[in-house]
Order: sequence, then structure tokens, then C-alpha cells
Amino acid sequence: MTHQAAPVNAKFWTPGVVVLAILMAAGAAAIAARFIGGIGYVSNLTTARPWGLWVGVDVASGVALAAGGFTTAFLAHIIGRHYYESVVRPALLTAMLGYTFVVLGLMVDIGRSWAIWKPMIYWNPTSVLFEVAMCVMFYLNILYLEFLPIVVERFKGRVNLPGPLAALNSPVEGLLGIADAILPKIMWFFIIAGVVLSCMHQSSLGSLMLIAPTKLHPLWYTPMLPLLFLTSAIAVGYPMVVFEATLATTSLNLDSEMKVLTPLTRITIFLLGLYLALKVGDMVVRGTYVYLFDFTAQTNSFLVEMLFGVIVPWLMLLSPVVRRSRRALFVACTLIVGGVLVNRLNVFVVGYRPPISEANYFPAIGEILVTVGFIATLMFLYRFLVTYLPVLNKPEQEVSA
Amino acid sequence: MGLNRRDFFKYVTVAGAAVAGSGQSAQAWQSRAPSDPVGSLVDLTRCIGCRKCEEACNRVNDLPAPDQSFEDYTVLNRKRRPDERAYTVINRYTSGMIDERDQLVPTFVKLQCMHCQDPACVSACIAAALTKKENGTVHYDVTKCIGCRYCMVACPFEIPAYEYHNPITPKVMKCTFCYERVQSQNKLPGCAEICPVEAITFGRRSDLLKVAHDRIKSNPGRYVDHVYGEREVGGTSWMYLSAVPFEKLGFNTLPEQPIPRLSETIQHSLFSYMWSPIVLFGMIGGVMWASKDKSDRVENGKKGGAS
Amino acid sequence: MIRTGPVIIGFMMFALVGFCWCGPALAAADVTAPKPSVEKVVWTAPDQEAAKKRAAQVVPFVEAVMDECRLCRQQRLRDMGLNVKDQTESYYLLNSPIIRKTEDHYGPVRFMHAKHAGVTKDCALCHHYRPVDDTAMETTRCSACHQKPFQKDHPERLGLKAAYHQQCMGCHKEMNNGPIDCAGCHRKNVPDHKDKINLAANPEPSQVTSECLRCHKPAGEDMLKSAHWLWKGPSPYTLKHRKEVELGKATIATNNF
Repeated sequence: MTHQAAPVNAKFWTPGVVVLAILMAAGAAAIAARFIGGIGYVSNLTTARPWGLWVGVDVASGVALAAGGFTTAFLAHIIGRHYYESVVRPALLTAMLGYTFVVLGLMVDIGRSWAIWKPMIYWNPTSVLFEVAMCVMFYLNILYLEFLPIVVERFKGRVNLPGPLAALNSPVEGLLGIADAILPKIMWFFIIAGVVLSCMHQSSLGSLMLIAPTKLHPLWYTPMLPLLFLTSAIAVGYPMVVFEATLATTSLNLDSEMKVLTPLTRITIFLLGLYLALKVGDMVVRGTYVYLFDFTAQTNSFLVEMLFGVIVPWLMLLSPVVRRSRRALFVACTLIVGGVLVNRLNVFVVGYRPPISEANYFPAIGEILVTVGFIATLMFLYRFLVTYLPVLNKPEQEVSA
Repeated sequence: MGLNRRDFFKYVTVAGAAVAGSGQSAQAWQSRAPSDPVGSLVDLTRCIGCRKCEEACNRVNDLPAPDQSFEDYTVLNRKRRPDERAYTVINRYTSGMIDERDQLVPTFVKLQCMHCQDPACVSACIAAALTKKENGTVHYDVTKCIGCRYCMVACPFEIPAYEYHNPITPKVMKCTFCYERVQSQNKLPGCAEICPVEAITFGRRSDLLKVAHDRIKSNPGRYVDHVYGEREVGGTSWMYLSAVPFEKLGFNTLPEQPIPRLSETIQHSLFSYMWSPIVLFGMIGGVMWASKDKSDRVENGKKGGAS
Repeated sequence: MIRTGPVIIGFMMFALVGFCWCGPALAAADVTAPKPSVEKVVWTAPDQEAAKKRAAQVVPFVEAVMDECRLCRQQRLRDMGLNVKDQTESYYLLNSPIIRKTEDHYGPVRFMHAKHAGVTKDCALCHHYRPVDDTAMETTRCSACHQKPFQKDHPERLGLKAAYHQQCMGCHKEMNNGPIDCAGCHRKNVPDHKDKINLAANPEPSQVTSECLRCHKPAGEDMLKSAHWLWKGPSPYTLKHRKEVELGKATIATNNF
């Protein structure tokens, strides 16, 4: 079986893309407001609730949902299942964009964006956040390096810069040539490093909240939190690929990739099952099931997370019928993706209850606009890059609809 | 002592040997609390709620003028928290006890950074902007701060506040324990100096603990037998004595274990000498090499390349 | 910055002059005239100077006190025949340099020693311990034992300021008699306004008012609620209706900013 990735031959400015552009503009306005009036001007963050939607979605969920990158890389390149090669590039692109937006989200959320480089100089090895930051920084660079061959493939021998930049044509061409010659020889190192770094910071994102034992609801606060974060990130990797591939192939009228996706989700049964077992086991061992039916906002959110985010999609995936149906598989995978999203939101926002101030928090319109704007920008860039770079699979018949 | 920067470098460079040392890397967690810190003992039975400490704090730290004057006692009608404009506040609690003149007996509670012995914020800070000084002060250095607010997430007393309305150069705001005054100018903290009734006793933490237990012993009817801060979260530099059970005064019940212990133990046992990433790297590399027998190395490594 | 001090003083003098004579034709040359009269008004207690001197002394620190219970002490003082008639001074100015070193927010308390002794008839109430030293006086002054706060060797010994406050306020509360607020005993030291006031040279009268209001806003609001501002109708309280005003400041067009 051969795969041929190619730029997508489709109109760029569809109505959907226009909607994305409008959302991006709204987000940009909110970001401008944040940098003029301060975080307090656009958000509902307070002393008692220092982390909100931005950390819960832009950062924590962004990292988790970009797990498709290292999980597919592991599958295709490390244990050598080249059968899955066709989903590696889109997953890599998703991961690269995902992590880029994690950093951009952080730039909005942290108070002194211009000082973001300081942890590189002032180390604090006891800080979990320090470790996460270092891993994310290195991993983002590795993702760019891993993506570089795609750029090289597209432009090598075809560099044609417009106007006065034309003088740079041959140097750029030279650089691309060097990259093409060197990258394949050293890429193995970066692929392994990418997986290692991912395992490190995916788990450490869970360790982040271990510093707040009095604030995080006991349903989530467990010493196993790092392990749960790691397993859930690994489990959500392939469903995220399915989710993203189905959306892309549908909206771009490409061939369905069910032939690859169906076996991919067979692995997910095991991975998600493992996560479910760990989560339930942890709950039983610590006896936190007593909280399950308190029917507070926290416990309800936990039930939603477990029921619709883990148990229902896991049961769905057990059925071969679901795995072979494009629509049903998409629903199951969307539930898993949503489940991990809700889990990260629960750990960082919903389950976080400062006992002294007992402050309630609901994201302000400005926070929502920033987050929505970032997600829209991410989708816009995905769309842009698959249009001009060889990422997605070329339709097998050249006569695409 | 955790990994410092020099050690970190050293261990990365001798990475190969480090794996061998992984067995002893998961040592028991050790407190990094200073041995003889200073502290303050707040005797809530003495506090008269005059708010002079708030005023002095405002003055010595050059904080912005308050909305309501420090002589306006109506602010005591609501519960306040320290914020970005006030490092310390006084709250009034009534336990329902009534004195001879049928007046509710108030208890005034001063709130400020507790200057923990093993501070969660110091452990959490991404850039070591927060440090525990040898004299016990939890010190904030704005030049290192990036504004991630993880310290605020970590603090079990919900103390650090943030200048949310400063768009570019916001600061974390919390009690400084008047570090400069105490260390360089040999003065007392502003609040301890001005307190008219010595509700705040300033001194060596070890001496204060003795004083606290002496007071409880010699006035058993006056105090509940608990020095808040002696053992809470591994001990704090600020400690309290009270006549009313602390739970009724807005103090939260906290474990005796230092807050950073769990996360630091996990981090330390996983990442000391970077052993686990190195082992993982080796294992994955091995798997990759083994599964490469079928195809050639370059082809496999060419990630994303057409095949 | 413009030096506003002289300007302000000039204005205050001008107002003073106006209040004293209400003469419309006073020239600026008269500004210095009221000074002696102001000083004449200040009354000084006859023993004020002696009290000032006493307050300025710092006596040697008493390291150790005799450990005896209050009842024992009262009994012993009775046995020794000591009572309130034995006091040497009737008036103290509580203005020790020990406190002055750090505090300048309030004026010193004028403490009526004889009066308090007469009311309580119990020396041991305040003079609760005596020095161990046999040669020392039975009752010694507060600042002999209570000096600097937080002394390492005497962790439980209150500083002088706290000793005063705890003793006075504690007793006032217990007896339900006597002030327990700051202003009940102290005069507040008005901080030097020289650097606080920010006015141009030769300001308009309205500018001066608004500069005062910049900090003392409540005072301005209180003024607007006062009869001085709101008055309408005849003035019934002045003798023979002298200087009768029919309207308050609010309705008169001049000087009501």
C-alpha cells in the first residue's frame, strides 16, 4: 500500500473559512484588550481563582489533544507500522499547531509575556511547571524539525521568491538541500526524543495540581494524577487523529481513510480501557466513590466526564460495527476527545475549589473570545497549510469531486 | 537539597553513569526549611482590631491609598482578604459569646502571608522568583517573575494576589515580612512595630513557640490548646493563639505534611539524574532499532517522508 | 516644585485675622500681629515642666521581678502601710523616648496618676510586680520593666507601648469606665502638610478649597450637610439678632465653592 501526500486541490475561501476569519478577528480584539487593559479587564480571574479557561483549555487541553503527534509517530516510526503512515503527517501538523497555540495561549495568560524566556535562566528544578515548560519548549522545536521535511519536499528545487527577494533563491535552495541531506539521518533521534518529552510533560501536567491538595476536589486529587494524565493523553491520541481526519476529509471532499482508522481504534480499546481501569481502580482504592452522587457542580462534571467521555465511547468501540461505520466511529472518537477536554477542564477549573475564599468562577466573554479565536486560528492555519503543503493524502482517483 | 542548576548540568553530562545511580535516587523527601527563622506570634485575644497594622503596612511598603480610611471601622462589617493593594487585613468574627454589657465579644483576625517553613509557592515557582530566605521570609523577586500565577494556585492560605489590571508589568503582591527593614535596617516589621497592644510578637520562631505554649499553660482558660502554624503544612513563620477554636475564625484545617512534599517526591524520584527519560529513550531506541530489521534505517527515520 | 509653605501660612494667618476682627480694611502688614495673642491662650499645667522632664528620663532596666501573686502583693503592701497617700506625683506625661523612637502618630497621654489612684485605691493594680532588688522602691515606674518590645531574654515582657495600652484599655474595659479609643487619651499628631499640599503660588481661594478636599473629602461632604451651608431663615441664636443671616453658604454667591 502506498501513500502519496499532496497539497489539497480545493477552493480556500469557503464560507466555513470566512466564519473562522470572523472568530479570529473577535479573538484578536479580545487579545488587544488584554494587552491594553490587563488580564483583569477581559477575564474573571481573581486572587482565589488564578487559573481559568485559558489554562484549562488553551494549555492543558491543547497539550493533551496534541497527543496524536507522538502516538502516531510511535506507531509508524518506532515500532515500524508503516501501514499507518498516511495519518502521521496530519497528526504531526495538528500537534505542531496545537503546541504552537499552547505557547501563544500562555503568552496571553501569563502576566509578563515578555518575560517568558526567564525560566530558561532562572531554574527551579522543584517546580513541576518548570519541567513542563522546558519539555514543551524542546518538544515544540522538535515538532518544527519533524515538520521541516514536508516543507523541504514542497519547495526543494522550486524556490521562487518574488521580486527583490529573488536574490535569496539560491541560498534558500541551498539550505533546503542541506536540510534534505541531513534531516533523514538524524531524524530518529528527534522522533525518540519527541516521544520521551511527550511522556514527561503529559504526565507532569497532572503533577501540576498535586501542589493544591486542599483545593482540588478529591475525585480528581490523587497521587496517580500524573499517570492518569499520561494514559489519557496516550488514549486520546488516535481518537484525535480519527476526529481530525474525518473532519478534514469531509470538509475537503477527500477519500475517507477508514481503512487506516478502523484498525487504529482497535488499539484505542486497549488504551482507553487501561485508563478507565486506572481511574476506577483509583476511585475504589481511595474510596472517593462516596462523593459520586453529591450532585454538586463538581461531582456532576465528574460523572459527565466518566460516563460520556470514557465509558460510553469505550463500549461503542468494542463493537466492530461502530469501528467500521464512519459516522459512528466519528461520534465515539468525538466523545473521547470531549471526555479528555472535560477532564482537563475539571482538574484545572471545575474541580478547583479554594476552601477559604470559595470563589466561584465562570469565564468572562473576553476569555471565551480569546480561546475561541485561538481555536479558529488553529483550524484556519491547518486549512491553509494542507492547501499549500503535502500533508493530506492525494485522492486515489485524480478526478476528485 | 533538591537539584540545583550546577548539579543538573553535571548530571546531564554524565547521563550514562546516572542510570546506575537511579536506585538511590528515590530518597525520602527532605525539608529545606531554615533552621532558625524569625516569625511572628499573633495573639488574637490581645488584638483590638484598630487596623494600625494595616496602616503601617501600607506606609512601609508604599502601597496605594485605600478606598476607605484606616480609621473607618465599617470595613470590619464584611470579610476581606489580602489583595494587591493590601498585604494584610483585619477581619472581625463573633462567636456568639456575650460580655457583661450584652455586647457580642469580637475576635479580630489578622491575615497576611504565613511565610511557611516549606512554602508551596516557592516549590511551585517556575523561575525561582519566590525563595525562602534564611531568616524565614518567603521573598518575591519580581525581576524573575513571568506572571504564571502558579504560586497562587499552590498557596494553601490563598494569600498571593495579582495586579490583574496592569497589562504589561503586573506583580504578585503579598506580605514581604518587611525583609529589607528586618535584614538591612535592623527594624521590626511595620505591623509588629506599630501594634499598640503587642498582639503581634516578633522574634525567633523557636522562642515564639515557647512563648505561645507558656501563655497557654499559664492561662488555660484563656486559650484553646492549639498554636495555629506550629505544625500546619509543616510549620509557618506566622503563628496564632486564640480563645476561639480556629475553625470558627476562618482558618482552614490543614495537613501537617508540607504541601510540596508529594509533588517534589514524585518529581525527584522520576527525574533525579534524569534517569527515567534516559531509560525511556534507551528503551524506545531499542524497540526502534529492533523493528528496523525489516526496513532500512534511513527510510524508517525519514519521518513524514513519502514511502 | 513650588514652595507652597509660606503661601499656606499666609492664608491661614489671613483667615485668622478675619475671624478675630472681621475688619475689612486689614492690610497684609498686620499678618504677624495676632501671634502673641495665640500664645497667650495656651494654658500650661503648673507641673507640666516637671512632668516633661520625668517623661524624658529612661531609668535602668529591671532584669528580674519578684514572683508573687496579686493578692499576696496587695496584702504585703497593706502590711507595709503603703497606700495611695504615699504617691509623690499626681500628674505624668506619658512621653517616653522608648516609644518616641518609633512613634510619632499620636501626642503623649496626660495621665492623672493621683486621680486614678484615688479611684482604684489599689497600687498593686498597676504596680503589679516589684524588682527583686531589695534596695529598689516598692512601686516603680512602668518603663523600668517595660522598655523595648520583643527582647530576646525577656520574651514575655511587654514593650512599654503595649504595657500602657494593655493596662489602660484593659482596665477601662473591665471597669466600663474610661476611654478605649485612640482619641480618648491621645491627641492625634497632625502630619506636616508642607509637602502634602500641592498649590501654585497665589492660588485662587477656590483652588485652595479643592486642594483641601483632595484628601479631606468627607470633611467637605459633612460641610454640605451642616447648617452653616444649608441655613435658610432668621438667625435666632445671635444676641439681638446681630450679624443676622437669612441664607446659608449654599445660597450666597460668594465664597461657596
